Amino acid sequence: MLLELDNITTGYGKAQVLKDICLHICEGEIVALLGANGAGKSTTLRCIAGVIQPWEGNIKFRGVDTGGVAPYILVSKGISYCPEGRDVFANLTVLENLKIGAYLVDDEKQSEFRLEWVYDLFPRLKERQRQSAASLSGGEQQMLAIGRSLMANPKLLMLDEPSLGVAPILIEAIYSKIQEINASGTSILLVEQNANLALEVADRAYVLEKGEVCLEGTGFELRDNEHVKASYLGIA
Amino acid sequence: MGLYLAQQLVNGISYGSILGLLAVGYTMIYGILGLINFAHGEVFMIGAFICYLASAVRGMPWVIGAILALVTSTAVGFLLQRYVYRPTTEKKAPLLTVFIASFAASIGLRHIVMMFYTDKRRAFPIPGVFERMFLVGGIAIGLRDIVIFIVTIAIMSVLAYFIRYSKTGMGMRAVSYDKNTAELVGVNSRKVTIAAFIIGSALAGLSALVYGLSFGIVNPSMGITPGLTAFIAAVLGGIGNVTGAMIGGFIIGLGEVLFVALLPASLSPLRPLFVWALLFVILFIKPSGLFRPNVKFEEIWE
Repeated sequence: MLLELDNITTGYGKAQVLKDICLHICEGEIVALLGANGAGKSTTLRCIAGVIQPWEGNIKFRGVDTGGVAPYILVSKGISYCPEGRDVFANLTVLENLKIGAYLVDDEKQSEFRLEWVYDLFPRLKERQRQSAASLSGGEQQMLAIGRSLMANPKLLMLDEPSLGVAPILIEAIYSKIQEINASGTSILLVEQNANLALEVADRAYVLEKGEVCLEGTGFELRDNEHVKASYLGIA
Repeated sequence: MGLYLAQQLVNGISYGSILGLLAVGYTMIYGILGLINFAHGEVFMIGAFICYLASAVRGMPWVIGAILALVTSTAVGFLLQRYVYRPTTEKKAPLLTVFIASFAASIGLRHIVMMFYTDKRRAFPIPGVFERMFLVGGIAIGLRDIVIFIVTIAIMSVLAYFIRYSKTGMGMRAVSYDKNTAELVGVNSRKVTIAAFIIGSALAGLSALVYGLSFGIVNPSMGITPGLTAFIAAVLGGIGNVTGAMIGGFIIGLGEVLFVALLPASLSPLRPLFVWALLFVILFIKPSGLFRPNVKFEEIWE
């Protein structure tokens, strides 16, 4: 088991967002987290990444309890979180954005190797490596944010809405890259509003409603589920 | 007239260095914490005071006094970070709380020094070697100005290189832009904050030595005016942009000196007006400053 959430309850300030969330990810899986706006998908990722602490329950990553550990330490343990909204550093160049993803990698050769690998994955980033990240299009910024998360060589990559604000033609490209990244041995936890898209690539998925897990199953099972069809796939 | 202006420019070099070196600390700390370190002027003052106490009062060699000044300024900056800014910012205290804590630190430090030494002006020790003058084409240039200029430019070049190419420098720029995302990619923002305070405070100590050598006086309130002026230099250069802060310092330093030089002597008390008028113009025409700021700009003025 790579990641295990056991009855996680958390929120912001006094406002509770998640209630008794249980989910797990096995080595090599792509797991999707579906749900409407405000269901608690991003909060789940933020909690796993250490941005917010669980109020109750345990998070175990590769068998070790990680509740309350700072985000930058979790990065060194192998959890990379690519936040929603493509938070690239607009004051840095494309290359610097990628290099900062390997901030904790002391081995120069290894980070060079990772950089080449990310460039192979997203050749457009190499073409623009000297440019300011602010000059990239929405889709390119998304590629940069994903590439940056990959620089630390994560065991688990968490992607928050990778299709948001990306031109349709690039969405497909990004999703095929997500499968490529997974094939290279990185497990993926994917948050996506576009359930069709997510269920196509996911091995398994969880459906969140009002901060609780209401359904789980393989991508195939959920695509056939009447509730999922009606509420998330737009099939009456 | 040309010669007169050239002479004024030479005189303005050390003032520009003072402001530039001081502005670097403001810009780094503002970039990273999102707030003005009001006590930066006191870090500066304490540096000058230590050199005065060691060298003029205790009779130690000037160089030892200068080294002690740099060490003390750095230590005071580190302690401010550790006991004023870290407890307030890491507990996510409201900005107003941190603001008041910062103000209290500034007034507190100034008045502690005043309590022991009163606010009387004292003569800053200037080693005789710095008084040597050279005449170049009718312009008098002091060895002091040459040394100050070379040291300032050298240190600024090293710092600019460090910010541009080192991992910590990159981390600083990333934290300035977006602290949360920087932590998500593995940057320890606490370490970066400490680095900013240490570098900024050491340069404030250096700036204080330049001030002492140029104006020859120390007193506990000496940090107020240069502090405010240097902060404006940091805004002029683009918040978070270290090279910009340095250039901003020189622009304001030389500008102020020329402003006074060109006005009739009776109007020279208007000197501070130049700085504030300049700030007004910046905020009016280009609020982000002359160079690219290292912060998400909309956030500063919200």
